[in-house]
Amino acid sequence: MNFSVLTSQFWSLAFQGLALGLIYSLVSLGYTMVYGVLRLINFANSEVFMVGTFSVLYLQVYILRIPIGDPALHGIKLIAYLALSLIGSMIVCALLAIVVELVAYRRLRARGANRLASLISAIGVSIALLEGFSMITGARGKIAPRLLDKWSFGEVAGANFRIDQVMAIVMPIIIFFLLDQFVTKSRLGKSIRAVSMSEENSKLMGIDINRVITLTFCIGGLTTGAAAFLYTTVYENTVFNVGFNMGIAAFTAAVLGGIGNLRGAFYGGLALGMLEQFASAVLGSQWKSITVFVVLVVILLVKPNGLFGEAVQQTRT
Amino acid sequence: MNKKIISGFAIAAAATLALGAVATAPANAATKTVKLAYQGPLTGGAAALGQDQIPGAIWAIDQYNRTNPAVKIELVKADAQCDGTVAANIAPGVAADKAIIGVIGTACSGEARNSFPAYKAAGLTMVAPSASAVDLTDRKSKANGFPIFHRVVANDSFQGPALARYAASGVASPKYYLVDDQSPYGAPLIKVDVTPTAKKNGTIVGTDSVAQKTADWSSVVAKIKASGANIVIFGGYDYDAGPFVKALRAGGYTGIFGGGDGINTSDFVKLAGGKTIAEGVRMTAASVPLATLLKPDQLADFTKVTGVKVPGLYAETAWTAANVFIQCIKAGKLTRPAIQVCVNSGSFTAADGSKFKFDRYGDPTTAAAVGGWVVKDGEIIYDKVA
Repeated sequence: MNFSVLTSQFWSLAFQGLALGLIYSLVSLGYTMVYGVLRLINFANSEVFMVGTFSVLYLQVYILRIPIGDPALHGIKLIAYLALSLIGSMIVCALLAIVVELVAYRRLRARGANRLASLISAIGVSIALLEGFSMITGARGKIAPRLLDKWSFGEVAGANFRIDQVMAIVMPIIIFFLLDQFVTKSRLGKSIRAVSMSEENSKLMGIDINRVITLTFCIGGLTTGAAAFLYTTVYENTVFNVGFNMGIAAFTAAVLGGIGNLRGAFYGGLALGMLEQFASAVLGSQWKSITVFVVLVVILLVKPNGLFGEAVQQTRT
Repeated sequence: MNKKIISGFAIAAAATLALGAVATAPANAATKTVKLAYQGPLTGGAAALGQDQIPGAIWAIDQYNRTNPAVKIELVKADAQCDGTVAANIAPGVAADKAIIGVIGTACSGEARNSFPAYKAAGLTMVAPSASAVDLTDRKSKANGFPIFHRVVANDSFQGPALARYAASGVASPKYYLVDDQSPYGAPLIKVDVTPTAKKNGTIVGTDSVAQKTADWSSVVAKIKASGANIVIFGGYDYDAGPFVKALRAGGYTGIFGGGDGINTSDFVKLAGGKTIAEGVRMTAASVPLATLLKPDQLADFTKVTGVKVPGLYAETAWTAANVFIQCIKAGKLTRPAIQVCVNSGSFTAADGSKFKFDRYGDPTTAAAVGGWVVKDGEIIYDKVA
């Protein structure tokens, strides 16, 4: 164990844990939103994330023609290219999530199929996407161009406030705030919450269930697309199976925070990111996953609804 | 009646077979072909390792086939992606092809371990161009490849110390931070082979063990910065080393970064995000550049045959591994048992012209030197013997 790293690198680790955890939080929304309305896990969400990272990379390399290894961009061009990459990724992921809903869930639901059938069909879509991208890319990792220079706002108590990591913190907070407002205050958001509480009563109230479910998948896709953009911008690479680890982490974050709960996903992601960073630093990276899952099991034993499940029950999607 | 009919058919069938055999015998004698398999990563994250070395085997076989021998050789590609699980799936298929009498491979140590059950059962001899984990030829190890496994490279008990020395060359007070990728290749390279020399040569200020295909290196970088290390040695493959060195430079680390042959591939600079980031990275490998051993006309022939302008890392050892089988085939050893006896007992010529044999457990009796490479202006340049 290396506790000395805590004294010299505590704030640095906390800052980086925050950035990583908030990316997890965005992806975990794709799980938690769908679980909220369908009571099913959307296993294809990890591959929606993977496709999002490739959409960012292909957009930057083949459409915006940014050469790999070139110096980072600046000024208006930088802002425009970042915005295009973000919007492109969100649109691709949202469309893909809608397709997943139509292909893997809707028809089965309409035919009254067993709930497990939907789980398997989602896993099927996930594997098809995974293997498809494995073949397209020759199963090799791809490097994304460096859009954003890794300049720092400054160093405070050993923490280096790098622009890309600051962006990975600020953007998810804004997205969560907007989504929270949407779900609690807008008519569509109220429809989502109504369906999550009772599908039957929502039908009686005249809510179009299919529309609400599609909208939920779409929102999950949008947030996963934003996460894919941040991931590609911060880490500048992707690979066909990038969704696997991200999917496990995001699903864990959703369960940790209280699945089906927006704010739970936010806090769960944060907790997971921090825990991973500190466990890696103190115990060694090989203990990261063990620590995270031991802590998860202990928390669920004490609080079966997740860490923040009960405290934020009123914002359940 | 029935007996007569059956007897008639049997005689006719036997006559047909005999005539067929006689009729085709001269043709078979003229065009007899045996197969050698190349097993290594041709796709996947470590594809550069296999793509760099297979041209050496292709060229050796082409050189032999052009001499119009009585027995020609066909090369079969077995893409195990440097992945033990994939290797365990494809090795039985290779073993089942009776025309394959030897395996040039494997490229990676994990592939070798998981291929042993199928190849041992089939008596299929392996000569590896780059699988360097010590236990593959360790007589005390349960995972060794005796009696079918051989390799033409120095094992990691030579590469590890050389890597620790080469990474620290020119550094007055080496402070090592050692990181491995938890793989069957990277973990023993660092923990068993690099560590003792690093301890002797300087101070080990920290260690870590990071899962393969990790995206977020920030906690490792934080620890390295806190440790005051001036040398980071990574045991793993290029697809992890690239993002790792990128994260180190972005995190402000300015010291030396070094790695073994797993990162010494033509893809490394690209994976690190370009020449600025990769500049100065030090690497080792138990091989020398094939181009330095060839005359200009030979290099031109290599390029013509393989389409590769500059032979990559381990093209030299892949040529030597192929040549081991070629020498046995030239001596008329055309079955798996005959090949095994020949490889176990014969004397062979390496790409540099030197002679070598294999010891009882498959290591070359005259170990090849470990070379040191450094990245300069985006190119991986051979520097010196490490």
